Amino acid sequence: MKKRLLFKIVTGYLAIVLLTVSVMGYLTAAHLKNGLTERTEGELTAFGRMMSLMSLADIQKNALSLARASHSRITLIDGTGKVVLDTDRDAVDLDNHFNRPEVREARIKGQGSSIRYSQTLRTDMIYFALALRDGDKIKGYIRLAKPLVELQAAAAKLYKMIFQTILIVLIPSMLIALVFFFRIVTPIREIEEYTRKVRENDKQAMLMIDSDDEIGSLSRNINYMVQFQQEKINQLREEKGKLEATFASMMEGIMVLNAEHKIEAFNNSMLNMIGVGFPDIIGKTPIETLRSAPLQDALDYFLETGEPVTKEISIGVDNRVILEVSISAISGLPGDERKIMMVFHDVTRLRKLERIRADFVANVTHELKTPLTAIIGFVETLQEVAMNEKQTAEQFLKKIGENAYRLNRLVNDLLILSNLETGEEKLELRNIQVGDVLKDVLPVIEGASGAKGIIIHHEIPSDLPPISADREKVIQVFLNVLDNAVKFTDSGRVSITASVVNKGCVTVNIADTGIGIPYSDIPRLGERFYRVDKTRSREPGGTGLGLSIVKHLMNAHRGRMKIESVLGGGTTVSLDFPISD
Amino acid sequence: MEEKPHTSIQYERELQEIKENIIYMGALVEQVIERGIRALLKRDSQLARQVIAEDDQIDKLDVEIEGKCIKLLALRQPAAIDLRFITTAIKINGHLERIGDMAVNIAEKVLILNEEPQLKPYIDIPRMAEIARGMIKESLDAFVTENVDLANKVRREDEIVDNLNDQIFRELLTFMMEDHRNIHRAMIISQVSKNIERISDHAKGIADMVVYMITGKSVRHESFTEEETS
Repeated sequence: MKKRLLFKIVTGYLAIVLLTVSVMGYLTAAHLKNGLTERTEGELTAFGRMMSLMSLADIQKNALSLARASHSRITLIDGTGKVVLDTDRDAVDLDNHFNRPEVREARIKGQGSSIRYSQTLRTDMIYFALALRDGDKIKGYIRLAKPLVELQAAAAKLYKMIFQTILIVLIPSMLIALVFFFRIVTPIREIEEYTRKVRENDKQAMLMIDSDDEIGSLSRNINYMVQFQQEKINQLREEKGKLEATFASMMEGIMVLNAEHKIEAFNNSMLNMIGVGFPDIIGKTPIETLRSAPLQDALDYFLETGEPVTKEISIGVDNRVILEVSISAISGLPGDERKIMMVFHDVTRLRKLERIRADFVANVTHELKTPLTAIIGFVETLQEVAMNEKQTAEQFLKKIGENAYRLNRLVNDLLILSNLETGEEKLELRNIQVGDVLKDVLPVIEGASGAKGIIIHHEIPSDLPPISADREKVIQVFLNVLDNAVKFTDSGRVSITASVVNKGCVTVNIADTGIGIPYSDIPRLGERFYRVDKTRSREPGGTGLGLSIVKHLMNAHRGRMKIESVLGGGTTVSLDFPISD
Repeated sequence: MEEKPHTSIQYERELQEIKENIIYMGALVEQVIERGIRALLKRDSQLARQVIAEDDQIDKLDVEIEGKCIKLLALRQPAAIDLRFITTAIKINGHLERIGDMAVNIAEKVLILNEEPQLKPYIDIPRMAEIARGMIKESLDAFVTENVDLANKVRREDEIVDNLNDQIFRELLTFMMEDHRNIHRAMIISQVSKNIERISDHAKGIADMVVYMITGKSVRHESFTEEETS
């Protein structure tokens, strides 16, 4: 680009210089030529007139000296055009001059002139002819001729001058052209460089051109434009970032479908909710990724009717996720594009809580009704027949008592749970030793374990730090867990160990060699009345609330209950108690 | 002869529609198996009856998809990958329909089993069902993403299910020998197990077809050990 611009400027300058000088030269030359010709013609006219006053004989006699004096060639021509005398040539050699232009003109006007190239002298000649009259009759002509050598010399000198002028002007003008070139091109090149870098996204500070002319204002405009654009871009980027951050951090899963119903965008919550088997779901359809027939039904319904749809769908097996999906159209897009928005709301927890509540109501009525039915049955039988049979009556009363006690226990447990849940149950936190508490608990449980032939093994290190807990409540926790361990173990042993595994808490492990719990049931063990094996009838004495109470008590202590189990291989309950400060 | 762009787009759309229909059917099939097994484990007769009722929809889809495939074969005369896709679609369609029938069989057995107390706690059957269901899911994943590795993984898993089936049968045999009153229930559980084993066979069949669709190589009657040594 540099070379082309340089060439353009230099040739431009050259053309201007050449044109100016040549036009000037031409005009000067023309003017000079006119002047010279007129002067020579005037001289010849004056001389010719003077000669015409002389007699013909005098002229013939003094022709040579006259010619010398006037620096011209003198020719005398008679009325018929025949040359009578010529100062330069023999008159005999010359042809008839009757039709020469100057002679012809003189014949009509009295005098005539003409400029012609003379073959003999090889130069332009000016001829002047004057008619010599005798009354009305022309008796002859005087013709004077003079070469225009002067004119030629003057012209040659002029051309040389023009040429010299060109040579002298050319070099400075070229220099001026170069300076001019650099003054214009340097900033243009800077602008070019800058704009190229901006285009290539190479960040530049600013264009620094200090000039008052158009280039200066151009560079200021470019600076302003770039800055303005940069601001706009930053603004857009910021807005986009905000939107994206909102999109990404939303709890709801979002999926956007394009006009072909293929996935165009989605957020992280979406991925976490559905757990797709393959990562690259952009460009796939929802049925391909989610593999959910109900979702496809909802989408089809939406596509058919155009009405927003809200539907609950479940995904996955046992560990199912329940999602509430809303499908609606995205409106107000540029170009009238039709996109579909799917919003997924995870309602798994909500549904689970609803189910637990419903289960609880059903269970509690069932649990309360069973002993009541027994009591009512026995009472009715007693009233009708059995009163008189003392032995049977005693037996029945015993049963009524058992059931009443069971009801009492159940109501007590429910009260404890309810107090724990509402936070009314206050803990009396003291520094206690796990070993001391166990000493009080073991004798209670040993009755039951001894009857089944189960050995209870305990190993509590004496240097265990004290825990901060309510002694009565800890006793209840241990009793409930140990009671379960013994109840669900037919043979073998129950071992109790304690240690500090995690900093800040004492972990008590109660492991049995019992029947174990299926993996899928473990998360639900803390639920009230939850039974692993629903076909088995309630063990006598159990209320179905034991582990639920343990879980709540541990939570109240800021501790934790964890259960690990192998089906058929025993269960381990880990209890974490916080160490006292 | 070059096709007009319009027809080509229409053709693409028809292929995509078949693909989506197959996946939709796959989703239904996964659902009925999951429900069938849940009905067995939870002894839920109502759920079992629901499974039996849902098979109608699968059967309808089977006919519909097959019709679409045949129409496409007749009208478009597909070649190369498209032809393989359509033949694969027809085959997968058949497999899925049979899997749906297996789920119905299981549901019917659940209804019979629920008339009597449970013979034994199920340990291997849920595991087996979980693997078989996973195989269907993964074979369809492989179909959607055209992933040969995933398809081959499914083809390998079939053997695990076969072994579990044998193991369950041996265990049931001991129950039958223990007490002749157990024979009826044990036989039915054995049939359930056999049905699950058949489901995994069909899943392997789908995976075989996916491999064929992508590579153009038929692997249906090759065992894995042969293929890996060759």
